[in-house]
Amino acid sequence: MPAPPTMPVPAISPGEMQLLLARAGLVLNPGQVADLVLAWRQVAGLIASIPHDRPLADDMAVAFRLPPPALATAPRARPAARPAAKAQRKAPPKAKVPAKRKARPKPAPRKSTRRAR
Amino acid sequence: MTAPVPPFLTIAEAGRLIAAKRLSPVDLVKHMLARIEVRNPELGAYLLVTERQALAAARAAERAVMAGKRGPLLGIPLAYKDIYETAGVATTAQSRILADNVPKQDAETVRRLHAEGAVMLGKLATHEFAIGGPAFDLPWPPARNPWDPRRFTGGSSSGSGAAVAAGLALGALGSDTGGSIRLPAAYCGIAGLKPTPGLVSRRGVIPLAPSLDTAGPMAWTAQDCAILLDALAGHDPADPASVPGPQVSYAAAIAAPLRGLRVGLLRRFYEHDVPASPEMLQTMGRAAATLRSLGCRVEDATLPPVQEYNAVGRVIISAEAYALHEATIKTRLSDYSRVFRVRVLAGALVRAADYIAAQRRRTDLIAATAKAFERFDVLLAAPTQGTPPLLTEQRPDDGFSRPLLTTVANVAAVPSMVVCGGFSNAGLPLGVEIIGPAWGDATVLRVGHHFEQAAGTRERRPDA
Repeated sequence: MPAPPTMPVPAISPGEMQLLLARAGLVLNPGQVADLVLAWRQVAGLIASIPHDRPLADDMAVAFRLPPPALATAPRARPAARPAAKAQRKAPPKAKVPAKRKARPKPAPRKSTRRAR
Repeated sequence: MTAPVPPFLTIAEAGRLIAAKRLSPVDLVKHMLARIEVRNPELGAYLLVTERQALAAARAAERAVMAGKRGPLLGIPLAYKDIYETAGVATTAQSRILADNVPKQDAETVRRLHAEGAVMLGKLATHEFAIGGPAFDLPWPPARNPWDPRRFTGGSSSGSGAAVAAGLALGALGSDTGGSIRLPAAYCGIAGLKPTPGLVSRRGVIPLAPSLDTAGPMAWTAQDCAILLDALAGHDPADPASVPGPQVSYAAAIAAPLRGLRVGLLRRFYEHDVPASPEMLQTMGRAAATLRSLGCRVEDATLPPVQEYNAVGRVIISAEAYALHEATIKTRLSDYSRVFRVRVLAGALVRAADYIAAQRRRTDLIAATAKAFERFDVLLAAPTQGTPPLLTEQRPDDGFSRPLLTTVANVAAVPSMVVCGGFSNAGLPLGVEIIGPAWGDATVLRVGHHFEQAAGTRERRPDA
């Protein structure tokens, strides 16, 4: 099977890698550092292939889904304030369980499962 | 309900037999459990078999059938990649990190399937946290390909691919961040759909890279994927990425003929960007001819190079996966497999500026891909370079050093499915990928369904 075109893989010195590791707060043994160097050279090559010089006005690919204005500004239905002492005597309201959760089957006992060999 | 269970059934066939009271859900589940008992020790598709619960659910389904209830998934035995949370049943992500994790509730997708009467057979192998690659330094062995157990299943939904192909489940759930549903579908000779992002809830699915993660169905046929998608699709207000998608029956929509459909052939992808083997090239040529014979207009289409999609996808996955795992990596690094460490640790070194550059470049690629759908209804591509490689040929840094053809659809945020396109001379499956525009899931499934019917690739099964 023909190999895909190879990507240039940048080099990284041991000193540079130690700096990056220190900044990331990682403590690795030599074998793990070797694995990371292998992977990082590939990732660095991928990063280098992505254009960074874009117009400042370009939008970021991040979407914030805020509620529509009508919902955001609608007055909330709040219970009337009551004296603190009275409020403390009352038990907190129970969280309403959605109907779909009620329909969920109960967890089976662990002994009903067996590990596949 | 005493008829013998046929050795292999699709979801559609089993659903019809159960509805006609010619097949007992209990007998079907017993049949599947017996097959698992025989085949799983070699294939490693299942991490956990929930035998007692499966039989109880099958008995409940049988009672429902006898009481007159009907449904395409009633009594259908399924299994889930072990990143789907299941109430009271261990969900490990095939990692020591979650070895003792027993969720309190089902993933939304699992809940929807069970509400339709589906029966859970167990939890399926995955690459560790859906990224690791086949690892031999974990407590569970990697899944093996039913067509040749020396070979790779593809991943990360490795157990899902193996279980469906070997007839150890009629359908499965997988997840797809860079190809994890479609690669095992290609290598195991089954059908797998990566839906449009937002169509299927991801609540209760252990994430890998939330910008790119999708949950989806895997089954023997595109029709079965459509049946599963009918149950899975739908807005989930508790998943912030969930979107109210089109109100369609996918199982019904696939019946419409393909005549007049415009198909774009992404020839440069598999002839130049990631060159395919001669057998895969022949498979793509035959696939194009098959679609022409169905009345489609097939012409060459062009998108930006695969390497551009792959670079964006890999940088985003590295950064997001590391961010999700950072706290555990700093305290339990040696508990992860080496493959996971190689593929995720580099994310620690990705600068915010680089991650944002990748996200911004993604918007360009989404726009470029969407533009192609002004000319075409679907795009046709090769999901892999060829047949499944040997497990021993897999390298820890494969995710970076070899571009994945399937990552295009993840980065472009469009639906994509793989169906079996044919077989090599050695009898190994070769997949074909069908990519649609955003929310074009029904069209993708429809093309997959008609292609399978015309190509006749669904009669052949791995050795029983």
